[in-house]
Amino acid sequence: MPPAAPEFSRKASIVGVGESDYQADYRAQRKPPEGYQPPTTEGLALLAFERALADSGLTRGDIDGLTGSFTYGGPPPAELASLLGVGPRWNISNGNIMAGPLPVVCAAIAEGKADCVAMVYAVNSRTAGRVFGGATHPAGSDSDEGYGTPPSYYYYHPWGWSSQAAHWAMIAAHYMAKYGLREEDLGAVAQQVRNHASRNPNAVMQTPFTIEEYMASRYIVRPLHLLDICLVNDGAVCLIVRRADLARDMAKVPVDVAGWGEAKIKHSKLDQMVRQQLRPQLEEAGGQAFAMAGLSQADIGHFEGYDAGSMHLINQIEGYGFVGQGEGVSFCQAGEMDLTGRLPSNTEGGNLSASYMHGWSQVAETVRQMRGEAGARQVAGLNYAMTSLAQTDQAHPILYARGGI
Amino acid sequence: MTMTEKRPPRTLGTGHDTFWEWCGKGELRLQKCTSCGGINWPVRQTCEFCGQAEFFWEAMSGRGKVVSWCSFHQDYYGSVMPRPYDCILVELEEGVLFLSNPHGFGFDDMVLGMDVAVQFIDCEDDAGVFKLPVFGREALSNSG
Repeated sequence: MPPAAPEFSRKASIVGVGESDYQADYRAQRKPPEGYQPPTTEGLALLAFERALADSGLTRGDIDGLTGSFTYGGPPPAELASLLGVGPRWNISNGNIMAGPLPVVCAAIAEGKADCVAMVYAVNSRTAGRVFGGATHPAGSDSDEGYGTPPSYYYYHPWGWSSQAAHWAMIAAHYMAKYGLREEDLGAVAQQVRNHASRNPNAVMQTPFTIEEYMASRYIVRPLHLLDICLVNDGAVCLIVRRADLARDMAKVPVDVAGWGEAKIKHSKLDQMVRQQLRPQLEEAGGQAFAMAGLSQADIGHFEGYDAGSMHLINQIEGYGFVGQGEGVSFCQAGEMDLTGRLPSNTEGGNLSASYMHGWSQVAETVRQMRGEAGARQVAGLNYAMTSLAQTDQAHPILYARGGI
Repeated sequence: MTMTEKRPPRTLGTGHDTFWEWCGKGELRLQKCTSCGGINWPVRQTCEFCGQAEFFWEAMSGRGKVVSWCSFHQDYYGSVMPRPYDCILVELEEGVLFLSNPHGFGFDDMVLGMDVAVQFIDCEDDAGVFKLPVFGREALSNSG
């Protein structure tokens, strides 16, 4: 990933977004109609690209850069270009989750490798039957150098401990005991995100629930319920990113990428994750991004955090310094993450209720919010926003500014 | 006599085997870096604090305090373990956080900072029988 250097700030703007039909695809998979063909990574990618291109008002001939990000496999660069019908001069495989791909493209544009890049991401997690725990990561599957699977995904198998859900559960149990919270309190986080999703016609789950219904939902890894854990669904996102000075005369408001950061746990993972809620990494990466953008927490009007688990959204709100330690849940209960609160968060319904696109759909939501296109879930008067991809051991915040500010 | 419990697979190989051999003798020993003194867990080939590759297998006191816990209701292991079952995170006296199972107590008994001590139970995975370090509320002689 390129450094969080001020010379890369606001050099590129997001000018087009496209997403697949998360809700319709999920529903079709649950109750397949006659002759149903499950979506393919390629088909989803093409759909998202065509929508993003139409959204931008540009044509295929304007696209001189292309990147592909496929978490569970997808077409290599040349095949992707051929699939989409473009002839880019710069064309790379670009990681997978939203932990680096956007900064990579912004830096490439600043360095003159391309002027207008289509960034394509697609997954067919649900169709492929992707599971998150147990034998997904076999015992002894890694060396210790950190390029592959984190040991916490497989090393504790003999004690029956694995899955991303178990990571969030361990953080939550410690946090709840430390700050005297009940399961009902934490339920407010998933409930808030679902309330947002009820205003998003493309969200997979749109029906609001009561705290009683939350408590009645089954445990996945106690203290976390089903409703605390993100969806698994198929989908694709495409972002069209253009050189900022070329993005100024377009029909829609460009959204400038203003800053980013990156920090990873280097040792003592369970301590830094459970007892410190990744605070050292969130603070470090957030500090880089704010410094690069010349912004502070008080400037941010909309936040999209990586809610792979409800608890992890709280980790990020606290770790980036929007609220104090141990105050995140009461902040949510007080309505401060709602559309009119101090920090409207995960307004499309996040990974918990809208779509699990590894952070990509949250960038698309940020663009819609910034343009004023978010309909019934629009946040008023936005100038700056933040997205955050944060896994069990790393944090990748990105800051955005309305073009021209 | 105690039952041998079926468990999902251990990570085996260089270093890992040594850990389990000590467990087989009823001892909880972890890698202590001969260069910086950092205690590494899970087992590593190079120290996660300083990158050096020489370790001494340091005996832990076996005592610690409960840091966190959870209970598995979702079946991640094809019903190898009867559910729900509990896990705990213990801070050993030496400062390392050790993920394990509570033995003789469970989720509803948990209190932050509760004193626990290691014991070893008979288990079996695909590679054979082994002794698994778990934690009880007070020090007991090793079962087995």
